[in-house]
Amino acid sequence: MKYFSALLIAVLMLVLFISLQEIPLSQNLMPVSSHYVDSGVKDTGATNLVNAVLFDYRGFDTLGEVTVIFAAAAAFKMLFSHRRIFFFRYGMSPIVKTGMAVYSPFIFIFGIYVIMAGHISPGGGFQGGVILASLSILLTLVYGLWYKVRQTVLSPAISSNIESMGGMVFIFIGLAGIFSGNYFLSNLGAGFFAGIPGSMFSGGSIPLLNIASGLKVTAGLSIIFYSIAGGE
Amino acid sequence: MNLLISYIYYAFLLLLVITAVYSVISRNLLCSIIFISLFNLFMVIVFLLLQAPDVAMAEAVVGMGFTTALFTIAISKTKEEE
Repeated sequence: MKYFSALLIAVLMLVLFISLQEIPLSQNLMPVSSHYVDSGVKDTGATNLVNAVLFDYRGFDTLGEVTVIFAAAAAFKMLFSHRRIFFFRYGMSPIVKTGMAVYSPFIFIFGIYVIMAGHISPGGGFQGGVILASLSILLTLVYGLWYKVRQTVLSPAISSNIESMGGMVFIFIGLAGIFSGNYFLSNLGAGFFAGIPGSMFSGGSIPLLNIASGLKVTAGLSIIFYSIAGGE
Repeated sequence: MNLLISYIYYAFLLLLVITAVYSVISRNLLCSIIFISLFNLFMVIVFLLLQAPDVAMAEAVVGMGFTTALFTIAISKTKEEE
């Protein structure tokens, strides 16, 4: 077994090195990429070009991803919703609970920051949403599932409402582009506030779409975890 | 990339392969989950060295936090049988 694993590691390492030699590292950009790099800030007003591509040039694809998360959460809720048996009933020890009470505001603030500053620094709606969802998972594990059910903000009914609302906000921002005479999910052409690139209020509809998808990812992933942990 | 950073990069690639192989061949499923989590940790560092901080953030939270929790829950709900 040891010789087999050593041989496997050696072969995989060789394949990895050979394939990594073939990666072109930013010498010759494709025409589409060089167009994004050259005129991305001017077109969208967002200095984070990854988010400019995600929510402006390829906004419809992001709507598809958001729909995938919605479908996954709906399927989990349908499959696991019968006969609830809580096995994180009372949570962990008081030491862990106190530590979590100290930690959780910082995680929350960090998640909100990653969502809100998605158009000017690395981050965005998906990343911040997953950070907030992992905060929800931590609260479930540490304080027990009954705490989550009793809380009004974290309860599953409110989470599913938030998830539907995030998707609706995303689609309505997209429809605003059509009503203003442009294409679906058009950003600066639809008259959203451009601002100075690099400042907090800039980027047109990109911060709004970040907030919508962040809400949706947060609620969707916490619904998935809650259904798996709660249902038996 | 200069020379030192490229050495660090290749070291983390080696760690990636080792953790991937051990996550496949280990007999204990909980052990496999911890190796997958370690794999994602090294993957985050590789993404940072390749200058993709967005992907690194998503990988850190999803790979090390969310999937570890989901897999642990799934294993604790199933019976151990070979």
